[in-house]
Amino acid sequence: MEWLFLVVSFVAVLAAGMMLTRQNAVHSALFLIVNFGCVAFLYLMLDAPFLAMVQVTVYTGAIMVLFLFVIMLLGAEATSDTSGTMRWLGFAGTAVAIILLLIFAFPLASDMLADETIERPDTQARLRVINAIPGGEAEVFTVMESGFAMPLEGTVSSNVLLDAADESFEDLRLDDAVYQYARESIQAYVDLPAGDYTVIAGVGDGNYVSGPIYTETVNLAPDSGHSVVFFENSENLIDVVVVQDDVSAPSVGKMRLTVFNAVTDKQVSLVDVGQYTARRSLCENGSCSSLIPHSVLIERLPAGEKTSLELEEGSYNLAFVDQNQSVLRTLADYDAERGLIETRVLVREPGVPGSQPSYRAAVFNTIAIPAFGSPEAVGQVLFIDYVLPVMLVGVLLLVALIGVIVLARPDALAQAERRRINRRRRVNRPLVSVISQQTGADVLSGDYLAKLPGGSDDKAAE
Amino acid sequence: MNPIGTEPYIVLSMVLFLMGALGVLMRRNAILLFMSVELMLNSANLALVAFAREWGQVNGHVFVFFVMTVAAAEVAIGLALIVNIFRERQSINIDELRQMQG
Repeated sequence: MEWLFLVVSFVAVLAAGMMLTRQNAVHSALFLIVNFGCVAFLYLMLDAPFLAMVQVTVYTGAIMVLFLFVIMLLGAEATSDTSGTMRWLGFAGTAVAIILLLIFAFPLASDMLADETIERPDTQARLRVINAIPGGEAEVFTVMESGFAMPLEGTVSSNVLLDAADESFEDLRLDDAVYQYARESIQAYVDLPAGDYTVIAGVGDGNYVSGPIYTETVNLAPDSGHSVVFFENSENLIDVVVVQDDVSAPSVGKMRLTVFNAVTDKQVSLVDVGQYTARRSLCENGSCSSLIPHSVLIERLPAGEKTSLELEEGSYNLAFVDQNQSVLRTLADYDAERGLIETRVLVREPGVPGSQPSYRAAVFNTIAIPAFGSPEAVGQVLFIDYVLPVMLVGVLLLVALIGVIVLARPDALAQAERRRINRRRRVNRPLVSVISQQTGADVLSGDYLAKLPGGSDDKAAE
Repeated sequence: MNPIGTEPYIVLSMVLFLMGALGVLMRRNAILLFMSVELMLNSANLALVAFAREWGQVNGHVFVFFVMTVAAAEVAIGLALIVNIFRERQSINIDELRQMQG
């Protein structure tokens, strides 16, 4: 890798030097293209594939073609480059370059001598809470600390946010903790700085925790997603697991479906029942007892675990069945959209004790985190955070377009020349004085004046 | 992960910028002057991309994108001006363009 960088940067510097020293402007332009190509390669090495492509198309493509076109158009390949009057500029240029070199090199050298490792800021990780406790009324709170308390949800009021930031980890008492409810089964992902977190989770009423308290240290890696899932275990106690979610983009033309089984004492399989139109109406309410599966997508997922699969774009009839092949829940006409990341959590609906239990496949969608430097990542920042600058640049380009059209009007110069000639011919003297100058006759006196049209007026004016 | 740190890229960017500055100061051909300015803009872009990776933020890429747009506009206008100047004076030596001096 290092030799690659050395070779490419050497070629870049060499091309720049050749560009500066060639007398023929066409050669200079071609060497500049080599330099731009090297820079595009370096962009690729710097994890910026989108910019590398823009560099090649815009710089080495469009801009350099424009340069070459103008050089050829003017026939200015070898215009004299020497200056008669400003010889000293060469020395001044060298001096300024040396001064610039010192200015640039000083902070770099001092930084290298100081040998300080720069503290890189943490990039973002994502965490969410899924409450899959039957009944859904239980309040759940989660606290994370990495030196300081971090509220889980951005909608927590700013007061709470400030208090949390002020409090150190040691001072943090549980009843002071920033808490988070997950009444409605799911919270959207919360962005957090990546790092090690202690997730404290339990069921509480907002101020106090009752029931089992769960503590786990989780490493939230950059660009990863985790879910804290609350579910009921087989002893009817609340259990908590932290699972890592796959938030990368699914394969092209596919969607990713993640299934989490939060149903106690059931091993859930996901089957594709195909076009079972005759039986679908029967199974819609989950009352049909058995189905012959077309193909098994997920086999015997134990409670408290999750698994992922990728589905081709299209429509499916899916069914969740337990280990006895009885249908828990059907998903008829399930549309698999490309690029979608969906999590289905299978939960038992709270019902009257003793009645037939029903099940629900709660749905949570996720937006994939685009890879660093990819067109998606740049586009998201460009059109979300920088909408106004993008528009201003658009206006700038429009102005440049109009400016070029005005400058390049084919007869702009000829028109200006004609206008100047016309202006020179306009005479701002009385006609009689012009005639007297051209004929040599003294028309200003005698009776010539009377014979001239308007001559008496001129005389009156004088 | 890329084993090369940010510093080599910054040094390279510095060298390219200085070469561009030298070109602007020492070459008298207006087209070459413009090409040197492009070289300087490119070296600044390289530094921005290197720092974007250093900090793990895509914002640097966005700025490079804007610089490229501005450079494209600047080249279009500048070359149109050069063409007009050449048509009038049959020369693009910038030392001969001194009528503004009075």
